[in-house]
Amino acid sequence: MNDVPLRETETSVSYQVRLEVFEGPLDLLLFLIRKKKIDIHNIPIAVITKEYLDYLGREEQINLDREAEFVLMAALLIHIKSQLLLPREQPLAEGEDPRRFLVDQLVEFQKIKAACSILKEREEEQLSLWTREVLPPLPEPEEADLVEVSLFDLAETFFVLMKRKEAENFRVVRGKNFSVEEKMKEIIAALEKESVLDFLEYFNRQETLEEAVVSFFSLLELIKARLVMAVQERLFHTIKVWLRRESKARQ
Amino acid sequence: MAPGLKDIIESLIFVSLDPISLDKIKETLSDHPPAEVEQALQDLLQTTASAERGITIIQSGGGYVFTTRSEFDPWVRRFLKIDRKSKLSSASLETLSIVAYHQPITLSEISALRNVDSSYTIKTLLEKKLIKITGRKKSPGNPLIYRTTERFLAYFGLNSLDELPTEEEIARILGEDRTVEQAPKP
Repeated sequence: MNDVPLRETETSVSYQVRLEVFEGPLDLLLFLIRKKKIDIHNIPIAVITKEYLDYLGREEQINLDREAEFVLMAALLIHIKSQLLLPREQPLAEGEDPRRFLVDQLVEFQKIKAACSILKEREEEQLSLWTREVLPPLPEPEEADLVEVSLFDLAETFFVLMKRKEAENFRVVRGKNFSVEEKMKEIIAALEKESVLDFLEYFNRQETLEEAVVSFFSLLELIKARLVMAVQERLFHTIKVWLRRESKARQ
Repeated sequence: MAPGLKDIIESLIFVSLDPISLDKIKETLSDHPPAEVEQALQDLLQTTASAERGITIIQSGGGYVFTTRSEFDPWVRRFLKIDRKSKLSSASLETLSIVAYHQPITLSEISALRNVDSSYTIKTLLEKKLIKITGRKKSPGNPLIYRTTERFLAYFGLNSLDELPTEEEIARILGEDRTVEQAPKP
């Protein structure tokens, strides 16, 4: 396994597929099955296990976060092979096969993949059609019933929300850090996609108190930088956030 | 048929931001016989489909809605300053179709089908409002159960879950794969 060159030279004809292109272990297995022209209902486990392990071996180092699932599948394959090899006290009943579980999974997964390819075409088609809902009702600053909120209104809403968040019983303990900068980017990205953000709803989506606080600070920063506009339809009502049009135009 | 019924329906579709359903149209035009309304709608669809206009009416998400024609997509995007619409990642698409076909379904069932931990993907899909939580399963741990949303249907231009790719269509795709596999080697 280790004699596979880590980086292909340009002249090299042999191709190498990196693990990242596969969504998961089933994806990789299906690819190998197709490549080897194997009948999915009668998989030679030894062959496929070797191929599979070769792929894992090409990774320079195992990234546990991502590849745990791939390693788990390798373990499953070896387990199946061992079951096939071990002598049994009683012969297997008719139709019973240690590979059965894996085959069922692969067949189902194959169907999902096929459905995905159809849906992908539909997605493509739909994305080229534009309905008016994607044109946001841009707020006219002249509109009388919209009040651009002051810092105090924001703070007030914030404290109401904090109270609510505090009351929730958190079970999740996370060591993740949230930076204002990242949150700002996240909010801008959300705004570019949705054009208008219901801040109350956004706030409620935040999983932890810390994340919620950071998201609020980020909003303040964005307002200060005049990148977004925060508008409240009525006092103590939810706050809607828009990208400032000038900032949009500048990009 | 009452004159102008077609035009009335057109105006209803125009002002409605969400796809407007046939029932809604009939409800609004309750002073007309439902059959006439249906006929007028069909006429309208035919006229808009054949007219050489920039916009047309499509049936999507269980209702009718005005859209631009797909061939004008480049100009619309230029006008809106959108390079391209973001598509779903393949992980999202995979998870979404699992939910669509196996709903109601829990996170662990999805992860088991994909052999990949899907909690992050589920979160993204929830945020995009393509799936929703509809309750908890009465099994150990009372896991949340997920279903697809109306928005999911509209996103793919489907009117109901019945319009998802059928077993036959899927079998055809798998069959095509097989013929590729069986192609003679060079």
